[in-house]
Amino acid sequence: MLALADVQRQMRDAVVGGDASVAVLLVGGDRPAGRLAIHQRHFEASLTAAVMGRFPASSWLVGANRLEAVARQFVHACPPSAPCIGEYGEGFPAFLAEAAATSHLPYVSSFAALDWHLGRVALCTDGPALGRADLVLVAPEVLAGVTLTLQPGLWYAHTGWPIDDLITLYLTDTAPEAFHIEPQDVRLEVRGSRGAVRFTRLGAGDFSFRSALATGESLEAAALRALTADPGFDPATALGSLLDSGLVVAVPTSPGGVLS
Amino acid sequence: MSSIPVRRLSAGIGLRLPHIEEAVATSPAVGWLEIHPENFLSNPHAMELLDQLAERFPISVHTVGLSVGSACGIDRHHATRVRALIDRIDPVLVSGHLAWATHGAEYLNDLLPLPYTDETLRVVAAQLRQVQDALGRTFLLENPSNYLGFAGSTMTEVDFLTALVERTGCQLLCDVSNVHLSGHNMGYDPRAYLDGLPVDAVRELHLGGFTAEDDEATPGAQVLIDTHASRVADPAWELYAYAIRRFGHRPTLIEWDNDIPDLGTLVGEARMADAIAAGAREPERSHVGAR
Repeated sequence: MLALADVQRQMRDAVVGGDASVAVLLVGGDRPAGRLAIHQRHFEASLTAAVMGRFPASSWLVGANRLEAVARQFVHACPPSAPCIGEYGEGFPAFLAEAAATSHLPYVSSFAALDWHLGRVALCTDGPALGRADLVLVAPEVLAGVTLTLQPGLWYAHTGWPIDDLITLYLTDTAPEAFHIEPQDVRLEVRGSRGAVRFTRLGAGDFSFRSALATGESLEAAALRALTADPGFDPATALGSLLDSGLVVAVPTSPGGVLS
Repeated sequence: MSSIPVRRLSAGIGLRLPHIEEAVATSPAVGWLEIHPENFLSNPHAMELLDQLAERFPISVHTVGLSVGSACGIDRHHATRVRALIDRIDPVLVSGHLAWATHGAEYLNDLLPLPYTDETLRVVAAQLRQVQDALGRTFLLENPSNYLGFAGSTMTEVDFLTALVERTGCQLLCDVSNVHLSGHNMGYDPRAYLDGLPVDAVRELHLGGFTAEDDEATPGAQVLIDTHASRVADPAWELYAYAIRRFGHRPTLIEWDNDIPDLGTLVGEARMADAIAAGAREPERSHVGAR
């Protein structure tokens, strides 16, 4: 008998790569390789279904059969790395960008990323939001250096295509017979909570500000980024708007203190 | 939440995401609910709803992702996440499978078979102890559904499970449908399998539907696939009655994971389990009464 690690390497190669040489070690029916196919099929079918379930709008855009063929390639090339299958598939948009079957759709990767994140943020849960009045508790001398904690169901994307218009056709079931799509600079804020989602286009300044805050940059650093993107950006107005939108859930008031 | 001892609970159902909002709204008439933590760890909204259900129902956590049989070790990061969920909802039972699914950095999304050898026993026993330490709970280990075995195995599955109980203090989740299915596929007597399990270690029973397919390994024969996509079949119900006579009353779960029906169908299957369990115990009562 081979060592357990060697047995499992051979079994992995059979399940993921289709190499059935492990069958000589197996018993089950007259020809165990036939039973090995049960595990091979389960791996491919269950994960392909999981990917398809996470990209419903992409399936609409690309066509279910075509997308499923790419998803099958994806599960063999990039198996999951963790048992929470709901988290599997984040790399699929990039995989789609390289797939021959979708090479005629230059926006497919951006569109699939939006599809993925709509599903992800819909499962998030908004926390109680801070308002403008809460911010007066933050010492003025530390305000510029604080990092805000934003709602968990947020995603910011800067794309070269109007993918929001395109996915709206899917979400509202209003696709025309033909849809002409032109490159366009689009900055999106995607927000979701408890099953509901919405997306909004932002100007260059607000997008830079909010997306920088979402990645953990300080208020000052985010404002500087925004001013670089839009010299007319007004940090005070933007911060007020952020609070009014209910996007801020926590802010440090002093070293060691957090308002939430 | 009910204060009925775990051992006396009436049958429960596997709680799947399509049913969770209805379960919160209607509190289905079942004894308990079992969840796969993997469905909740990446879904904060579902987790929020589960919190509400955990106040009303005993919950069992049945993990499919710890991979106690992997030669590369258990997924410690996943164990940490499962522990956090356990601490949050305080389940009455915690269980998983005698199988492996993780290979290096890959999770293969299946419950793959193990050779039953001394080496495997050492590996699984050590990792079961790690799992129990990581989760802070006694772990119930489920017998697998088998399509394949290993020519190099040196002990039976029953002996392997029994040795794990002795070495680690783990207990057993006996999936009765798996016993029927594996007995059919691998050519052993399901009742003899149940007879071999240590009675005191069996803490929970599972029942689920399976699908018969043409067996590519044996022309003209059929292989039973553990699809959890249909009602519990009659032979599994019959074996369940036998299991109740052998083990006594145990918390029993109806599993249905594919082609999921309406919640009422699952509740009906759970009631069927309760009825069969009650009927199976009748001869015992008559026998005791005649003494």
